[in-house]
Amino acid sequence: MASFILRRAEPKDVSDILRLIKELAKFEEMEEKVILTEKELLEDGFGDHPFYHCLVAEVPKEQKLFILLKFNSRCSLPGYTVIGFAMYYFTYDPWIGKLLYLEDFFIMQEFRGLGIGSDILKRLSETAVKTRCSSMHFIVAENNTKSIEFYKRRGAADLSSEEGWRLFEIEKADLLKMTSK
Amino acid sequence: MDYKLRKAEPKDVSDILRLVKELAKYEEMEHQVTLTEKELLEDGFGDTPFYHCVIAETQGESSRDDPRVVGFAMYYFTYDPWVGKQLYLEEFYVMDECRGLGIGSEILRHLSDLAMKTRCTGMMFVVAENNEPSLQFYKRRGAEDLSQEEGWRLFRFDKDSLVKMATPAEE
Repeated sequence: MASFILRRAEPKDVSDILRLIKELAKFEEMEEKVILTEKELLEDGFGDHPFYHCLVAEVPKEQKLFILLKFNSRCSLPGYTVIGFAMYYFTYDPWIGKLLYLEDFFIMQEFRGLGIGSDILKRLSETAVKTRCSSMHFIVAENNTKSIEFYKRRGAADLSSEEGWRLFEIEKADLLKMTSK
Repeated sequence: MDYKLRKAEPKDVSDILRLVKELAKYEEMEHQVTLTEKELLEDGFGDTPFYHCVIAETQGESSRDDPRVVGFAMYYFTYDPWVGKQLYLEEFYVMDECRGLGIGSEILRHLSDLAMKTRCTGMMFVVAENNEPSLQFYKRRGAEDLSQEEGWRLFRFDKDSLVKMATPAEE
């Protein structure tokens, strides 16, 4: 069976991270919205003050061809060994303290069903418990039933349903309007 | 009433906790606040701050009066993989008797300045769907309801679920 490793992302991984961010955005039909650059990912993730953390899933180069053939994949992109990632950071709940926030979580289609996603979630859970976080939060699109099932099977609660929270955003143009008043 | 805004300092943790509890009380959830002053101090003023606070303080009737902390905003930075850094507004509260004086607007303006200075692409926050006054306050300033427009739902794994998913501790 294919083996894979999970490890913390390093500066050299930023191009793979950006590639996977774009693949996930493409899956959501939003690829043109990704304007982040490798340079920003590098500064923001590997500078003095990281604004995010990443776990990457890698398959050994020799294994990759075996997996692609076994799963009859039409993926013809040689040389990639990073095939999945999770991006997270720490947030703060004023009632209970530190939380782990799962921002992005994606495994390339050809590598699904191998337990990589479950392993990533396991690793994140360990990180959360070790850093004394009270819980892990994340958002899911309401029409993404597969993901909702994946998370609910593992005990996730839908806070939008249970507690009526609605997510808001004030974009740059409106922030600027407020700064000049 | 004269007031000023400033960055929170370690000495402010007891006022911050007081206001956190007042806001929770307003939402009828006061007993759910289990955070302590000690945790607020470690988590906000240690090597790696997990949150930041801006405080609104009134001067008092005369120069002999102690200043009073009457409002606060708690925020931190998050990361959107499409556009980068965001400012996340976690908590925002002005004491009842100090409302309608523009303190809330000033706090939002201060946060907007900060977001621009730190090159954030937006500010995000959640609002309870039945909180009409807050919904209006934010919508007036251009906030969009992403839950409505994009169908996002907020999920949580609580500690029990995390422990179940994590590797069991060594015996």
